[in-house]
Amino acid sequence: MEGHQRNLYLYDRFNARVAGVSRDQVATLEHWAKDLGLEFPIFSNPIGHLGIWFGALQAGYPMFNRTTVIIDKWGVIRYMQPGNPNYREILTVLKQLHEEEGRR
Amino acid sequence: MNGLSVRLSAALAAVLLFLGGCALIQPPAADDGRATLVRDGEALVWQDEYRFVPPPRPWQLIDLDEDDYSVGYMMLCDEGYPCQSTLAYAEEPFGYSLDFETRQEEFFRRFLWASRVNFAEPKLQPTEVFGKEGLIAVTEGIEPVLGHKVHAKVVFARRGERVVAFYFTQWRAADADYDLRDEQDFDRFVESFEFLRPSFFEQL
Repeated sequence: MEGHQRNLYLYDRFNARVAGVSRDQVATLEHWAKDLGLEFPIFSNPIGHLGIWFGALQAGYPMFNRTTVIIDKWGVIRYMQPGNPNYREILTVLKQLHEEEGRR
Repeated sequence: MNGLSVRLSAALAAVLLFLGGCALIQPPAADDGRATLVRDGEALVWQDEYRFVPPPRPWQLIDLDEDDYSVGYMMLCDEGYPCQSTLAYAEEPFGYSLDFETRQEEFFRRFLWASRVNFAEPKLQPTEVFGKEGLIAVTEGIEPVLGHKVHAKVVFARRGERVVAFYFTQWRAADADYDLRDEQDFDRFVESFEFLRPSFFEQL
């Protein structure tokens, strides 16, 4: 979370937006985001559709496994990695997508 | 369509979505970090990225699997408990802001958070690091339940446009005295530190 907040100015530079998804309730996320000073949206998805969609919800396990997904402007998933975010990898992919966008 | 459809604005190049929850257990890294440390005379070179003179023994290199540390050393002593000093360079110190004053506030909200430390208002002193503006913040944290205290000195510096930090901590029991001679080793560590190439972020 902190890493994404730290890199917001770079995401802007690459014409990208970041959003989080969690199974926590809205009130919990609101408090948490305020406490951490986060300035990007975090969606509350208690039922877990998105986790099922992106393969981040294991059967019998109540929480999402951390997963990072990058979707390009045409709606195509271009990057998906489980585990802690690799911010340098993410920024490299966003830079490539931004360059691609300029060429199309 | 059932479920959620993601509509992307035509103005955006990409949307980055992260699903938060529990981290998967990560396999241990193939190397322990020491393989990337190369001796260069009295100095060490880390990943061809930094060059610094390590603090003398009994300081020990610590391998920390955390993004907040790039390289760190610790020293234990036996004058009661706790009795420990640490010094570190952090490529990604806590906080987000590129402005030092704001960054130090954000930093101390998270620094040693797991240790349940209450920090006093830091004393701030503008400085120069790597020939650029910097900021020194010195404070003391109190852990009221266990009766521990920690002296902390943080040097905020700039690498490209981003903020990096060096920090020194010394833990003692609440009724024990600090031994700030260790801080001189930290100061020498900071003075000796140099970047050997532009950072990843500078090359983006």
